[in-house]
Amino acid sequence: MTALDQTAEATRAPETSAAPAPVHRVRKPLADRLLKGWSILVFVFLFIPILVIVIYSFNTGRLLIAFDQFGFDSYAALFQKRTLSDAVMISLIVGALSSVFAAALGTFAGIALARKPGKWTFWFVGFLLLVAVTPDIVGAVSLLPMLVFLGQDMGLDFFNNGIVRLTIGSSLFSIAVVTYIVRARLVGMPANLEEASADLYSTPVRTFRKVTLPLAMPAILAGLLLSFTFSLDDTIVASFVQVSGSTPWPVYVLSALRSGLRPEIAAVSTIMLVITLVALAVVALVLKRAGDSATDIARTMSGG
Amino acid sequence: MKPAQRRRLPGFALALPAWLWLFVFFLVPVAVVFWYSFGYKPGLFGTHANDVLSFDRYAEVFTPTFFDTFRNTLWIGVAGTLLCFVIGAPIAYWMALKAPANLKGLLIALVLVPFWTNFLVRTIGWMVVLSPEGWLSTALQSLGFEPFSILHTRSAVLFGVVYNYLPLMILPLFVAFDRVGEVVREASKDLGATPVRTFMRVTFPLARPGIVVGVLLVYIPLMGDYITATVLGGAKGNMVGQMLASQFQTAQNWALGSAMAIMLILMITLSIAAMAVLAWLISLPFRYQNRVRLEGVPA
Repeated sequence: MTALDQTAEATRAPETSAAPAPVHRVRKPLADRLLKGWSILVFVFLFIPILVIVIYSFNTGRLLIAFDQFGFDSYAALFQKRTLSDAVMISLIVGALSSVFAAALGTFAGIALARKPGKWTFWFVGFLLLVAVTPDIVGAVSLLPMLVFLGQDMGLDFFNNGIVRLTIGSSLFSIAVVTYIVRARLVGMPANLEEASADLYSTPVRTFRKVTLPLAMPAILAGLLLSFTFSLDDTIVASFVQVSGSTPWPVYVLSALRSGLRPEIAAVSTIMLVITLVALAVVALVLKRAGDSATDIARTMSGG
Repeated sequence: MKPAQRRRLPGFALALPAWLWLFVFFLVPVAVVFWYSFGYKPGLFGTHANDVLSFDRYAEVFTPTFFDTFRNTLWIGVAGTLLCFVIGAPIAYWMALKAPANLKGLLIALVLVPFWTNFLVRTIGWMVVLSPEGWLSTALQSLGFEPFSILHTRSAVLFGVVYNYLPLMILPLFVAFDRVGEVVREASKDLGATPVRTFMRVTFPLARPGIVVGVLLVYIPLMGDYITATVLGGAKGNMVGQMLASQFQTAQNWALGSAMAIMLILMITLSIAAMAVLAWLISLPFRYQNRVRLEGVPA
């Protein structure tokens, strides 16, 4: 069976086209070819709406759905419509703030979980799991009364600021994810280096800065960029906690859904897609440099 | 003993900021919503009041409309998760065990790209494809087919959630199958097992934890989803998430909305428990069989 597999692998022509194979060629088992065909179909399925959005971003018509003519008008709208560019800016600012914040808190928590385990670890991990699995909508409707209470009843003006509210909203899930990633990386590395550093009379703070942080750095960077993309994607929580005047991009799209979708939505989405892809490529590269296998990267990137 | 020893902080000190933050902005708010669910909506302009406590909001939740929505949500949740599994398992299996090893990274990236594209935008992409005036519908009409009528139906929502959550199923399944690895599978084949037997007795049992993770990763957010339902299902709303959101955003009835949020959590927890029991019952005969076979193997 194995030998057959290998022969099949070796004889597999470089072009795996649909052309009928020569009779004497050793073919892969039928089940394997079916699996491959199915996988290709699923990949096509996964990419259809994305391709549609990219193609329709070049639509010069008034409405997104009806393709009129090919042109770049919708991209120009980004520079002409203030509300549009404002929404994108808000999203980018919130993404940057909340990802840095989540990365900081998550890094400390992840290091503590990996290096100082105790009875508390079980409860803390459980708590993080709870944060991660609670449906967005429940977190969103809960956060809204809290922010209203802090901002209006307590008179803390800080919490009436749109950027602050959005940053808090998208930081929660991200903290859980960063903590998990950092912990996973450090757990896989024995504390030898930190012990050596302590033996060499380095202070705990110095060991932390010079040894632990650099060790965790790939995970921290991955967590940071993942949090950034999470934040850009965050529609549900943002639509609850946003205040007028600081509408982030996804909420702008959601409201455009009611008032009529225009092609510029697709244009901005295409730009955002490129930004996200670049961010993800950086994550993958960093993780690869750090010696992770494809599987490890998949695990890290899917947040668990 | 030494001065350095005295200054040492407790182990969880570094985790304290994250804990505090999540406590204030997650745990306390959810607890408050639980508390609100026993209150009521005072007058037209108030959102909630808790001076009189009752279970009335929960009674109010159980209206025929809610039951319909509830049933719809459960149906979409279970059917969507099943479809994700049926569609995602073969591709994850192929990616992990059959695809050329040097392509794995690229394939994972291909699954991740849609996953990281804005959720709402992806769904709008399908809206464009499925709409009766869209290119696909127009093209099919010129071939003599009826214009599409799927948009704004429950089927469209089901289609949308399957698409949106599929990567969340493929990734953990891929990791699970990849962990099984070729070595034990080859051992099984070398010992004379047929491919089907190898799958049933080696690959599948070893991949089971990943399957559980995939199912949970898809099912839980799917049950709370209201974006897909809003875009593809239309404004009338047929998922609990939409009803819940409208209580907070349109009706301004936080008490009733809170009761719905608690019901949603209960519904998710109970249905997962039911699924776990079901899965355990189904696995009973297999477990028994496996145990008998394993007795012959020297430990």
